[in-house]
Amino acid sequence: MSTISRKDFLKILGLAAGSAFLPTVRAQAAIGEADDHVAMLYDSTLCVGCNACTNACRQWNHTTPEPDAEGLHDAPQALSADTWTLIQLYKEGDEYAFVKRQCMHCVHPACVSGCPVQALQKTPQGPVTYDPSRCIGCRYCMYTCPFHVPRFEWDEVIPKIAKCTFCYDRILDGKGPACAERCPTGALIWGRRADLLAEAEKRLAEHPDRYVNHIYGKDDAGGTSVLYLSAVPFEKLGLEDLGTEPIPQLSEDTARVVLPGIIIGGPLALVAIHWISKKGAWEETWPL
Amino acid sequence: MATLVKQLKRTSPVLLYAAYLLLALTLLGIGLSIYRLVVGLGPTTNMNDYYPWGIWISIDLFLIPVAGAAFTISLISYFFGRERYHDVIRPAVLAGVIGYGVVGILLFLDIGRWFQFYNIFNPRYINLHSFLEEISLCVTLYTGILILEILPVLLERWNIQTPTRWINRGIYIIAGAGIVLSALHQSSLGSLFLLMPYKLHPLWWTPALPVLFFFQATYTGLSMTAIAVTLIWRARGIPLDRELFRRIGQAMALNLLLYLAIKAGDWMGAGEVPLLLKPDAYGLLAWFELIIGVFVPMAILFSKLIRHSAAPFWAGVFALIGTFINRLVISWIGLAEPSPVVYTPHWIEIAITLGIMSGGVLLYALIAYYFRLLPERHASPTT
Repeated sequence: MSTISRKDFLKILGLAAGSAFLPTVRAQAAIGEADDHVAMLYDSTLCVGCNACTNACRQWNHTTPEPDAEGLHDAPQALSADTWTLIQLYKEGDEYAFVKRQCMHCVHPACVSGCPVQALQKTPQGPVTYDPSRCIGCRYCMYTCPFHVPRFEWDEVIPKIAKCTFCYDRILDGKGPACAERCPTGALIWGRRADLLAEAEKRLAEHPDRYVNHIYGKDDAGGTSVLYLSAVPFEKLGLEDLGTEPIPQLSEDTARVVLPGIIIGGPLALVAIHWISKKGAWEETWPL
Repeated sequence: MATLVKQLKRTSPVLLYAAYLLLALTLLGIGLSIYRLVVGLGPTTNMNDYYPWGIWISIDLFLIPVAGAAFTISLISYFFGRERYHDVIRPAVLAGVIGYGVVGILLFLDIGRWFQFYNIFNPRYINLHSFLEEISLCVTLYTGILILEILPVLLERWNIQTPTRWINRGIYIIAGAGIVLSALHQSSLGSLFLLMPYKLHPLWWTPALPVLFFFQATYTGLSMTAIAVTLIWRARGIPLDRELFRRIGQAMALNLLLYLAIKAGDWMGAGEVPLLLKPDAYGLLAWFELIIGVFVPMAILFSKLIRHSAAPFWAGVFALIGTFINRLVISWIGLAEPSPVVYTPHWIEIAITLGIMSGGVLLYALIAYYFRLLPERHASPTT
């Protein structure tokens, strides 16, 4: 009896020690899988800003257009509960470029890590999806996302989080995301993440003069499933330098150490404190 | 109740009017809360896609360490074996129950899909990576523990003894579990922001957030205890226990010092001192928070001039203001987004916050009046 419990105790100790190495192993494993995730490659130099992608997204996901002041054009200014993707213009002097915005479908999504009820999930195929039947509407995902993507239906009595789902229903049907299939110039293509990375590398090698020498999303924020090529520095397109460490890494490492630490160490510390104070050892010295 | 009103009318009409004001605010708050649940967050709040959290979350982040009074006092009195502190357990635990009650109500009003809030308890849904989930579970369990701890106070009025006997027999287990749960969620409240390294201003974002939040909770809890005890003792006309207050003051000073050391060490270690010296809003805010919330309380506690039983009260008031500013910055002002709109709370958000908090204060005062929060030797006939 006592040997079993001692063995169990050692097992727990081993687990606690081993958990220190877990993060690295886990991160590597997940990046391996990411090769087979579905991804998109957006080449800003090929985009003509026609907004066909925005329109395709509206048609498939039944979102409502956001017209400009004259009511003539669909002119969303930013991502919103009704606009899950849009093309924005960067302009400085004669230089200009377009950039497409939507959920980046991170390899290690912070929103998924933070969501208390797993309403946001990283699917095995790669897209990050949302399940309103689980969501409690806490909006933590909106703060955790480093790309400012999730939006909230503020005006609904029964609101939902709104964001691009990579047209996950289409992916399950073997089709591509509506926006990428509609793009007339080939600025936006979709496919296996590893293949798109190879394609992006090829373009960088063939036309080093045309591009900034970086594939945004390859390693940024731990890797994303939407990859970007650009002629202008990425910060100017609103794609900030977020480092290469997955955003949830620190939080999950902390949880792995602090939570078992307090749950196991807390009671032990309390017993020890109680025992010492019972002996009256620090009655005079301890300031309390 | 009628006797209480009559008595107040005679002895202290100001207090009676204050109570009526609190009651009016509470009723307004309850009405507006129902309105918010019926019409949604859009018409009743100014939160938006760039500021998805508003004043309710800021207040919650502030009230949780304030309600930590029960946690700190339980730790000192049950486990450090300080008999004197037993005198203040009841006021502190009651502050805890009511504080967490207010937090729970505000959170319920804040979440958009409140009608399925119970999903946070669904074992098939819960995400063990999420600090928000961990906080939800810990706070719920801890509120249960606090209710167990306060139950004897309520029951003894009707002379019901059996549950009290059981609770007293297991008090070390109950209080111990409460302390562990508190240590978990007080620190996890800081860990919430570990997922926002690129959102929270660098002067406030640090991997040490859970440790900082923990020590802030201990001194804020002690501050709240000092304030509540001073007020109750004064209201009853009982002379303050000088020795006890000297010790509470020392405990506060110790925790303030630890907090300051970690914060300063973290700023220096991360090379963020230049940000402190930059004369922008954030640098000034950091200093303001530090001076009001840490330096002034420490000066009050350490200086020989004010070292009497009122020192913990005044140090506590300043520490509380400092914690409030700190939590406001972390959950609102310091969470900079490239934003075309600025969030300022809607009047309904403020009215609901004031209303629910007024309800809490009123409830505390009534329980303090009708039940025996003070130790036997101070007990005076109340009804």
